[in-house]
Amino acid sequence: MDNTLQTEKFYYDNKIVKWFAYATILWGLVGMLVGLLAALQLVFPVLNLNTAATSFGRVRPVHTNAVIFAFVGNGIFMGVYYSLQRLCKARMFSDALSKLHFWGWQLIIVCAAVSLLAGYTTGKEYAELEWPIDILITLVWVTFGINMFGTIIKRRERHLYVAIWFYIATFVTVAMLHIVNSWEIPFTWMKSYSWYAGVQDALVQWWYGHNAVAFFLTTPYLGVMYYFLPKIANRPVYSYRLSIIHFWALIFLYIWAGPHHLLYTALPDWAQSLGTVFSVMLIAPSWGGMLNGLLTLRGAWDKVREDPVLKFIVVAVTAYGMATFEGPMLSLKNVNAISHFTDWTIAHVHVGALGWNGFLTFGVLYWLIPRIFKTNLFSQKLANWHFWIGTLGIVFYAVPMYWAGFMQSLAWKEFTPEGQLKYQFLETVTQMRPFYMMRSIGGTLYLLGAIMMTYNLIKTIRAGKAVNDEAAEAAPLAKTYVEHSGSHWHRWIERRPMQMMVLSLIVVGIGGLIEIVPTFLVKSNIPTISSVKPYTPLELQGRDIYVREGCYTCHSQMVRPFRSEVARYGEYSKAGEFVYDHPFQWGSKRTGPDLARIGGKYPNSWHFNHMYEPSSMSPGSIMPSYPWLFENDIDTAVMGAKIRAMQTLGVPYPEGFDKVANVELMKQAESIKQNLAGDKIEIKSNREIIALIAYLQRMGTDIKLEQKATTASNN
Amino acid sequence: MSVLYILVLASIAVAAFFLAAYVWSVRNDQFEDNKGAALRMLQDDEPTKQ
Amino acid sequence: MPITDTERKTIIIRKEEKDHNCYHCGTPCITNSIAIDDKLFCCEGCKLVFEILNENGLCDYYKLQSHPGLSQIKPTRNDKYAYLDNEAIASKLYSFTDGNNTVVTFYIPGVHCASCMWLLEHMHKLNEGIVESRLNFTSKEVTIRYSQNKISTRQVVELLTTIGYEPYISLDDAERKLSRNYNKQRIYKLGVAGFCFGNIMLMSFPEYLSTDLGIEHQYAFLFRILNLVLALPVFFYSASEFFASAWAGLKQKILNIDAPIVLALIITFSRSIYEIATNTGSGYLDSMTGIVFFMLIGRIVQERTYQSISFHRDYKSYFPIAVNVVTPTGIETRNLQDLKERDIVEVYNEELIPADAIIIKGTGRVDYSFVTGESEPVTIETGKMLYAGGRQKGEKLVVQVLKPVAASYLTSLWNHNAFTKDKADNNNRDSIIHKLSKYFTVILMGMAAVTAVYWAINDPAKILPSVSAMLIVACPCALLLAATYTNGNLLRILSDNGLYLRDATVIEQLGNIDHIVFDKTGTLTQDSNRYSFKGHQLSVEEKGWVYNIAAHSSHPYSKALVNALGIYPASGADGWEEIAGKGVKGRVGANSIWVGSKAFVGIDDMPDGQPAAYIRINEEVTAFYITPVFRESIPQMVPLLAQDYELSLLSGDNNRQEKTLQELFGRKSVLLFEQKPLDKLTYIEHLQQANHKVLMVGDGLNDAGALQQSNVGITLADDINNFTPSCDAILDAGQFGKLPSLLKLARSGRYIIYFSFIISILYNLVGLGISMTGNMSPMIAAILMPLSTLTIVLVTTGAGSLMGLRAGLSLKSK
Repeated sequence: MDNTLQTEKFYYDNKIVKWFAYATILWGLVGMLVGLLAALQLVFPVLNLNTAATSFGRVRPVHTNAVIFAFVGNGIFMGVYYSLQRLCKARMFSDALSKLHFWGWQLIIVCAAVSLLAGYTTGKEYAELEWPIDILITLVWVTFGINMFGTIIKRRERHLYVAIWFYIATFVTVAMLHIVNSWEIPFTWMKSYSWYAGVQDALVQWWYGHNAVAFFLTTPYLGVMYYFLPKIANRPVYSYRLSIIHFWALIFLYIWAGPHHLLYTALPDWAQSLGTVFSVMLIAPSWGGMLNGLLTLRGAWDKVREDPVLKFIVVAVTAYGMATFEGPMLSLKNVNAISHFTDWTIAHVHVGALGWNGFLTFGVLYWLIPRIFKTNLFSQKLANWHFWIGTLGIVFYAVPMYWAGFMQSLAWKEFTPEGQLKYQFLETVTQMRPFYMMRSIGGTLYLLGAIMMTYNLIKTIRAGKAVNDEAAEAAPLAKTYVEHSGSHWHRWIERRPMQMMVLSLIVVGIGGLIEIVPTFLVKSNIPTISSVKPYTPLELQGRDIYVREGCYTCHSQMVRPFRSEVARYGEYSKAGEFVYDHPFQWGSKRTGPDLARIGGKYPNSWHFNHMYEPSSMSPGSIMPSYPWLFENDIDTAVMGAKIRAMQTLGVPYPEGFDKVANVELMKQAESIKQNLAGDKIEIKSNREIIALIAYLQRMGTDIKLEQKATTASNN
Repeated sequence: MSVLYILVLASIAVAAFFLAAYVWSVRNDQFEDNKGAALRMLQDDEPTKQ
Repeated sequence: MPITDTERKTIIIRKEEKDHNCYHCGTPCITNSIAIDDKLFCCEGCKLVFEILNENGLCDYYKLQSHPGLSQIKPTRNDKYAYLDNEAIASKLYSFTDGNNTVVTFYIPGVHCASCMWLLEHMHKLNEGIVESRLNFTSKEVTIRYSQNKISTRQVVELLTTIGYEPYISLDDAERKLSRNYNKQRIYKLGVAGFCFGNIMLMSFPEYLSTDLGIEHQYAFLFRILNLVLALPVFFYSASEFFASAWAGLKQKILNIDAPIVLALIITFSRSIYEIATNTGSGYLDSMTGIVFFMLIGRIVQERTYQSISFHRDYKSYFPIAVNVVTPTGIETRNLQDLKERDIVEVYNEELIPADAIIIKGTGRVDYSFVTGESEPVTIETGKMLYAGGRQKGEKLVVQVLKPVAASYLTSLWNHNAFTKDKADNNNRDSIIHKLSKYFTVILMGMAAVTAVYWAINDPAKILPSVSAMLIVACPCALLLAATYTNGNLLRILSDNGLYLRDATVIEQLGNIDHIVFDKTGTLTQDSNRYSFKGHQLSVEEKGWVYNIAAHSSHPYSKALVNALGIYPASGADGWEEIAGKGVKGRVGANSIWVGSKAFVGIDDMPDGQPAAYIRINEEVTAFYITPVFRESIPQMVPLLAQDYELSLLSGDNNRQEKTLQELFGRKSVLLFEQKPLDKLTYIEHLQQANHKVLMVGDGLNDAGALQQSNVGITLADDINNFTPSCDAILDAGQFGKLPSLLKLARSGRYIIYFSFIISILYNLVGLGISMTGNMSPMIAAILMPLSTLTIVLVTTGAGSLMGLRAGLSLKSK
């Protein structure tokens, strides 16, 4: 006889929640501070400090990674660990795993920051971390997964509240995105090349990039919203049914929206259109979710007026609505033609990041910390101040950026009546500086608010005493709950959330497969251009330096088929030009001009001087100086390994080329040295700048050869 | 053309698993009581003092 | 700081509002004497619940919601649930038991708020034998897991009753189970259709997106085959109910609503197979699955709305699960179905007579309103016959069963007449949708024939493609969707505003109404009348005496008097006697008490007005007045209705208030008083013979006949879960004032349907035009069909909601 049917007493683990909360605050401050530095560097290039680790190209990935994976990441875990336990009426599956997860994640963050500043990067935005850290992320993520599913399995509440579904989707999708996009071939203990090249790499990367937004910044936070918003307002969600529909529609549609980042690029047309169609369809579930959140507060607006916590949440949900409305708009081809590569995109993501993620996190922190410490918030007034300063910060950030983006794009496209481009690229950059300054002020205000919050919360923590283990009780789920009539096959899948994991993985997987595999495996997608040849060893080294210094954070390598771009940069980019690009470097932002056709445009000496002191060649340039490139030697020791890795990836270097690569390298370096000497520039041929010049001069020239060839054959 | 086989397999798997999950949810009465689920999550209570 | 200010404010408000309402249930307290600390209670029952919860630390119950409880003023008989001690009966309720651990599910009508849920899910704190209790808030069913070694089933039920959540246990509980699975079937079908439709759309996109097929040409064939595979379960499983329904219609030689859609499905499907097989196109599988998906959603939306209301309960949910049978060895409880001829059964006050029987002992005062619609209890002497379904109102009866339950009068009545089935069928046949779709099918066939003939002469190769494309494009789905979505949305809006319809056909009927007949007592007037006394002032002690005399009588005036007096401790009354139609009398101690008519009480003059009854205690006389109070909303509502409808009032009462009422109803309206149920029925029949469409608004029981006779019968109910066998709709009494808006919305329903029908005709004309010329490309079909579907869905739901808003209704359930 089963006598275990008794109410069980157990304890919620608040300690782990507390830790994640601390980490959220800490990394939030760090990430925002780094962001502020990066913003100021764009106004005052001197702040790059002329050292490698503090130059914009390395600081900016630290900012994005810190804010996304450290601040929001810890925020997610804080929300999940708090709400999952309560929704499942169970303590986390394993305290040891919780700890492992926490410390593992912090280790990843530290490693990430150090390695990025040291110049170890894969060169793929938001997936910049190198392979050892990628493996570490995988392990820690799996730890989190086991802990989460373990908790779900031993839950005492039969119903899986909608927030849990969002968490499951997050876990599964992020795992798959991470693994697929981080597929790379290591050639030293800290460096690797992306497995994919060119168009394929771009597609995989933006499929990842977009879904990182969807499944790291959105779905987990929607889960958090669906838990904390009703809790804080103490009223049930407006429509639970809508929340379920919201979930399924979102997970199904989001996966397909990735290609909208690649409109007008060398990606096949139908894949671009697919991205647009699904992006536009995304408005429905996203707005459903937002309205569901806001309508939950109907009849409680008096509460919102009083309570800073609710104010934060209302603004967060509104920002979600704005960002998810703007997103689909930006993925319309004609809007994208204007917005892409400009600060408009920066404004768009910051409305999401500062408004939706930031404010929701703040709201949850203000509510959670006093609860865990069984006390009241130290100062409601201060929290109110934080709210207003933070909101002002967002406005000061977003408005100048929208404006700047729009202005710059128009300037880029403007022709004189004679049919000449009206503005030099540099002119459009210098016009941006006041906007960048205003943006920095907005960022400062926002950071100031976060500091006020930190103070407020520290005071709160001091005043209370943490309840690390919070008592609760509930009856376990009975095995024989309902007598089912008929077949028994379903018992197998009953109470098995694992199947949900498998399921979601497959759903998400199919989305990826249908988009990626065709481009990937079918040669016809990439019209091969016979004149496109692999990089020489020196160019390859130069390219790796280009990646290392984060040039892609400011320069694109993708000329879109617009009159203005062709006039400014040259022939538009073709898919076949990038077949040996591991990784692709199309970029997503033009703070500086496009470089796809830079090769042969300027003499070697111009590049030499420009890299040493940009403003000497382009007065008013906001590009940092790269003095270390003139002192560091090219790392010829790994040349062979690089060539072998490339050969594995299908780059047609001849057999045994790895052995002679360095000889070739030196030969080419010597010729560049001689060329520079002709302009009275003295430099050793093994300096990094030589390799970089070689790469820059090669870029986009293959297709010119082709054109020459065709012209020749036509004659 | 190996893509096609991957696609076929994945699509069928998706349809099958989606249905399985759906059937599981419906059979498990996960969607039976929408009002209740929304209300229940609001009720955290402390255990009886002993 | 702002927060403390608000806190202070709320505290002040709390203090001010320290009301005289019961802390437990919020009913105004008659007396201030039932209290704990500063908490007042309306009755001992409520106080008891509070005490139990307080003892067990469950007072959070009162924090989640103020006054969450239900009034406990009506006591429950002690041994009411004794039958649950009989394991054979109790076990019928179990969904699982191993002898000790037991799971049972009860329907709790009283569930209404978060507090209810909280308390019912904390049963384990009240008794350690209960392991877990879980409430399904939507269906108001609590599932309790308990250990029989520690608590018996009867104790569980009694515990529920004690805390104010008495379960409703009926014969139905022992027999249901199957119904649930049926509902799930359609949900599975929807799931299958949804997923297949979604994936098919996905696979179709590349084809829509590139006009010349371009790069994905090599995948096109694969996508098509996959689409076909995905379409199979939709065609054969999800759409099965349309096939079943159409086939059933055909067998009766009727082209019903599902026939054209089945035709379209079959043609779409076969043409798609043909195109894919010959590699000439991708077919129309996206459209086909889409139609099935949207149709199913529409039907589920419709079905969901009135699922939780008790229309579809049959007489079984009205009957008890067990009865007390007198055997030579004593009283034993027995399953109702096991009741045999000649069994001797006890029937208590307020209990149902379970089978046709003869009274052996006691006098019956039987309320047959359930069977006949006549609410005035009938007095039946010992030795006379009783019919099943009547409700005893008075002393305990001992009866001998004449026929088993299954053969009794009520059961056979139910089975033959099925009360309302014919009416629904009639409604259906009259429906505009049916008429329209019939013409539609005929016209479409005609056009198809013309097209076929034309191409047969000019280009025979085009016959098949053009005709099939026509039939696909002109699929009447838009029309059907228009009806399902309009009605589904209207049903939802109506029910969110307190009007629950039996089914969608009632909407149309409501829209046709031109004459409204009201019942007065209980409909226009509230149950809570205004009471007053004149003459001798009753002391508290005297009130107690009167209470004890009047409480035994079930005459409406006696009940009113008891209400007016409040609750007093029971004390024996000697020589209690009720003389039908006159009054009651009895003695308490040395005091003689009469309550009744002038003659009965034995006085000759008592001034002014028309007292409802006289009270005589020894020589002191008091007059008791009942002034009916109209429902709050009546004064605004009735004149509003009078603008658009002819009105009649049929009252069972005397014409005391005729003047007030005539002013209210206007001079044109007919007011009839002292109407018997049969009179009301005849009146409605006359109206109908004069070609009027009559809406009857009554209070269910005593108007059953009239409600049945009318075109639409609305029962006004304070508790929408009451059993109301003969009405078409239930209106929440609290929402009575919305009646004009609700009728307006129902009227607009048909315009919405017409409007969306016009839209779909426009789509069809465009589509047909193209397909008759034989130029229909899959691309255009693919765009046209979902677009028309989407337009219809949006227009119907949007217009419905808009109309609802304009009529001043709320669009969201409370």
